[in-house]
Amino acid sequence: MVKETLLHDKHIQLGAKMVDFAGWSMPVQYKSIIEEHKNVRKNVGLFDVSHMGEVFVTGKDSLKFLNKIVPQDISKLYNSKAVYCQLTNLNGGLIDDLIIYKLEDEKYLLIVNASRIDEDINWFIRNSINFDIYIDNQSHNYSLLAVQGPKAINLLKKIGYNIEQEFFTIKETTLKNMQVMVSRTGYTGEDGFEILIKNKDVVKMWNLLLDEGSEFSIMPIGLGARDTLRLEAALHLYGNDLNENTTPIEAGLSWSIPKDKTENYNGKNIIINQIQKGTDKKLIGIKMLSRAIPRHEHEIYYNGEKIGNITSGGFSPTLNENIALGYIKNLEELKIGSSLQVMIREKLHDAIIVKKPFVTKHNHKEN
Amino acid sequence: MTITESILCAKTHEYLLENEDKNYTIGLTDYAVEQLGDIVFLELPEVGSSFEKGEVFATVESVKAASEIYMPVSGTILEVNDLVVNSPEILNESPYENGWLVKIEFTGDDLELSDLKEYKDYKEEVQ
Repeated sequence: MVKETLLHDKHIQLGAKMVDFAGWSMPVQYKSIIEEHKNVRKNVGLFDVSHMGEVFVTGKDSLKFLNKIVPQDISKLYNSKAVYCQLTNLNGGLIDDLIIYKLEDEKYLLIVNASRIDEDINWFIRNSINFDIYIDNQSHNYSLLAVQGPKAINLLKKIGYNIEQEFFTIKETTLKNMQVMVSRTGYTGEDGFEILIKNKDVVKMWNLLLDEGSEFSIMPIGLGARDTLRLEAALHLYGNDLNENTTPIEAGLSWSIPKDKTENYNGKNIIINQIQKGTDKKLIGIKMLSRAIPRHEHEIYYNGEKIGNITSGGFSPTLNENIALGYIKNLEELKIGSSLQVMIREKLHDAIIVKKPFVTKHNHKEN
Repeated sequence: MTITESILCAKTHEYLLENEDKNYTIGLTDYAVEQLGDIVFLELPEVGSSFEKGEVFATVESVKAASEIYMPVSGTILEVNDLVVNSPEILNESPYENGWLVKIEFTGDDLELSDLKEYKDYKEEVQ
């Protein structure tokens, strides 16, 4: 049975095309993926991401428990601070990627991918033996809205949110009598906020944001543009770019892993070994030199030899070019600017390795 | 008569418009381009190549996905629309006037036309 968010009727009213995604019926686009995409880069967009999972971890061993299940150092978090994390298995592979928020001592919020909630919860439980913690999956009680784009902050201020907030922090407050947790995070490469709200208030909040956002040219944004936005920002999509057989080091996430964390965590030996000795494969950014579009699972060639696969690819509305992420054999001679080919419909198309992210706040504002 | 009153449509969403005897224009229906969303890439065949009815002769990519385009009848490619190859968004804007794909010489027999539908019947079926 496909699940619906509480905004399902709103999406239909707004003319959305709905698709099944991770067991949920979600809007893929309202009007045009390209227009929605550009509006987030230029103004502000509103996303219903209520399919995402919210899990609270509380209890006196919560810090020890979290430090065992992710490579990041959770003891570095102060109250309200968030960190991007990976849930590693014993081989260093990724069960999920997630954001961990420290709400207060012994109270943490984990926001996880919709497609992985069940696996995550099972993994938490398996790892919770001997820890005095309480794992509370509240996904069914919460909705999540993302307000993303350079004008997101103007909109939040307009509806009465006046808290000075750093990137990757979360604040609990009330907005127009609705209890919310506002996090300065996102999945678009833009400034923006994610608003965690009880189900009963989400329709009211959605309407408020759309109404008050009209002066900032707000648009509702579907999963289609969410995907092109995150690809331009080279943010990984679990299931495409990350899975149980890829480690954070192979995925280019070394920056997120502290080298001095003393606690043991799942997969630590392998991850540390890979940091020191390198990996057999690596995730790279690819730009096509032809107009053919690289897609998930297309093969990557170098000197006539297959060296990897595309994991995410598509048209970049900001660059008006075709871009992709993919894993390749970690050959020394392959670096930024190297030529590759991608096999698209039985033909090899020229491409080059480029820096990630493909789009930064600096390079799109000039357009 | 408007264009949609003159075309025949395939189940796979291609339309066929008769220009003169044995000479047809092929394109994608407005329903198809609407379903595809923003079109960003088109691969069309070479002039002179021949295809059987039902064969894939072209590929269209929207932001979302790649889709194959099938020959509604057998034919030889006489002309391809370079305008849509260079500016694929024209397909979204004008599927019947500027956004046609290829012109062909019909090489099959008339029986091949029998499973194609008039636009209004096609529209009823897909909606």
